[in-house]
Amino acid sequence: METALQWARGPIFWTAFAFMILGLLRLVVITVLDIRHIMRDAGDKSLPVGQLIRTTLSWLFPVRRFTHRITYSLTTIIFHVSIIIVPIFLGSHVMLWERSIGLSWPTLSTTVADVLTILAVVTALAIVVQRTIFADARRLSRFQDYAIPLLIAVPFASGFVAMHPTMNPFPYEATMLVHVMSANILFILIPFSKISHCLLLPFTQFVSEAAWRFPSDCGTQVAVALGKEKQPV
Amino acid sequence: MSTRDKYAYYIEERTLNVTERPRRFLEAFAAVLNSSSYGPALDTYTRLTTHCGRCAVSCQLYDVTRDPQDIPCERSEMLLKVYRRYFTRAGLFKARLFDDFTLTDEYLDQMADAYYRCTACRRCKLTCPIGIDHGLITHLGRYLLAEIEVIPKALVVATREQLEGVGNTSAIPAAALTDTCEFLEEELMDMYNLPAKYPIDVEDAEYVFFPAVSDFLLEANTLMGNAAVMHVTGGSWTIGTGNFDGINYGLFYSDRMLERIVKNIAGEVRRLKGKKVLVGECGHATRSAWFVPTFGGPDAPEVVNCMQYAYQQLKAGKLPLKDEKITERVTYHDPCNIARNGRITEEPRELLKAICSDFVEMTPNRTENYCCGGGGGTVSIDEIREFRTGPLGKRKADQIRATGAKYVVAPCANCKKQLREVCEDNDLPDVEVVGLHDLLLRVIDYTGFTEEKAETDTDAAEDLLKPVKEGVEA
Ligand code: SF4
Ligand code: SF4
Repeated sequence: METALQWARGPIFWTAFAFMILGLLRLVVITVLDIRHIMRDAGDKSLPVGQLIRTTLSWLFPVRRFTHRITYSLTTIIFHVSIIIVPIFLGSHVMLWERSIGLSWPTLSTTVADVLTILAVVTALAIVVQRTIFADARRLSRFQDYAIPLLIAVPFASGFVAMHPTMNPFPYEATMLVHVMSANILFILIPFSKISHCLLLPFTQFVSEAAWRFPSDCGTQVAVALGKEKQPV
Repeated sequence: MSTRDKYAYYIEERTLNVTERPRRFLEAFAAVLNSSSYGPALDTYTRLTTHCGRCAVSCQLYDVTRDPQDIPCERSEMLLKVYRRYFTRAGLFKARLFDDFTLTDEYLDQMADAYYRCTACRRCKLTCPIGIDHGLITHLGRYLLAEIEVIPKALVVATREQLEGVGNTSAIPAAALTDTCEFLEEELMDMYNLPAKYPIDVEDAEYVFFPAVSDFLLEANTLMGNAAVMHVTGGSWTIGTGNFDGINYGLFYSDRMLERIVKNIAGEVRRLKGKKVLVGECGHATRSAWFVPTFGGPDAPEVVNCMQYAYQQLKAGKLPLKDEKITERVTYHDPCNIARNGRITEEPRELLKAICSDFVEMTPNRTENYCCGGGGGTVSIDEIREFRTGPLGKRKADQIRATGAKYVVAPCANCKKQLREVCEDNDLPDVEVVGLHDLLLRVIDYTGFTEEKAETDTDAAEDLLKPVKEGVEA
């Protein structure tokens, strides 16, 4: 168990983490190059940049997005806030970073961290439940849409009990192993799954707008490719 | 199978004769991906779509039908599924390992139904955290379906007339256009002693005018309003007999047609050595004309909507208005094609506030407006009227009812037709659907612009459309 944990938080962690970073960067680079490529070939090279940035920001900080399904919106927002803040600003995580790469930054107080961690787990479960409540969300939900929030809840729940030994029915090392390995699995999954929106979201509004910027002969080219230049309407 | 049974809308006979549809569909898909800008959006959407369901409640159709097939994300997923399976590496790989989804005739039929239930109004895009543009997917889905000849008959027949027939979607010959303009001029004289002209084929004008050509048959007041505004503001404009139709159904079913029609518009402006495209009161004509920079070449003319022009003139103090305002309650319907992206929302409101004493907003409005229910060309399909004014139009009817307005101003040929039918079918008999220029015509102060009436015959109203109608029949 001891060695397994050593491995999990050592080489396996570093590999998974690097994999995530490189995977996400690859997606960002592809997306940015795609947009550049489109705009280079486009007949109309204007983009309403200001408007796109405003829309993007309104989704990154969705304070005004409570027009309908208030609980559902609130749940997802709390979920996002806590799963972003806790892993980055948790005291013991920052300590690990300091020890390994010598960098540190401000940390959360343990109470705040505890509350946010509990919120992360509760909202993850609440998302799954609400997906089954609304007919449309239920209809749209795929296996991964239930699995991913649940999988995300695992490192938070296990991390929480590991920090609170009195509440923990399992041995510390086993709990930590679950904590670290579930996080490692998530790191690997992130670039391949919808969670990659964590880095791609700032680009999606631009992609959607750029999709309407056609090359000046896009229709003709299709006609030629399909041998339909002479075909009547 | 008859051409009306296959899909909810009428199709042409030839649609039924296309063979090997899945193969053709995929070939067209490949060709389109190669030469257009859809690919990155499809990649992003297939990667990120979170299937959260937020978009559902923002669609006026799903809101009424509660039919799962009308959930925006569900509809878009139909095409994304094909893309994922045939055009992404992961999809090809998965297909090799498992007995995965294959594109079938039946699946294509489902898409053909789904993509013409959506009006491509893009309202749902506003509520998607990922920014998925379902209007774009519907647009692309219809384009690909058109390549296997699935096109509503109403749209393809009109486009054929425009590109290969008389030259416009209403089949109005140039001679009939000239006659109609003369009649409209007489009418302006009769009503207001206003010697306004419709300058035909004048070279070097600043604006070349492209209304929805159907206005010449149906919206005489809007066109008279256009002429009145141009006259009192001293605008330099012309109508070209080579091409006087702003309608572009390519926007609704095929980028190939979109490109050809837009190029014809730019071509007519060049022929007349005009400077700008002036689009009449029409939402989709305006949005298509905004593709002039895309397809019109490096010296593409600028595009101005007539409401933008009128507002500029008002601001510059060049649009004289009578003191008496319109007192009946007026509300404004934002056509999706000009309002959704926020490009034209304030100009019409400023104009209306200047000429009406009781202007009220519908809620929601501007970028968040509800589609009239006839968007995306569905308004031209008379066979689906019940669907258009029922589930698709119900939200709009509710909105209009809530305002208690007498006049609904809808500066769009499509919206006008649809809203009139919506009001008829949803028990709103007292509401009148008009154009913005219809109202402007009534309130412009013509003092100083009038001329003594020459001898003209009265009752031109009936005669007004006669030459056009004869032209069409011929
Ligand atoms: S584009 Fe409009 S009609 Fe189509 S799904 Fe979205 S909201 Fe509904
Ligand atoms: S809001 Fe966007 S991600 Fe959510 S279900 Fe609709 S299209 Fe899919």
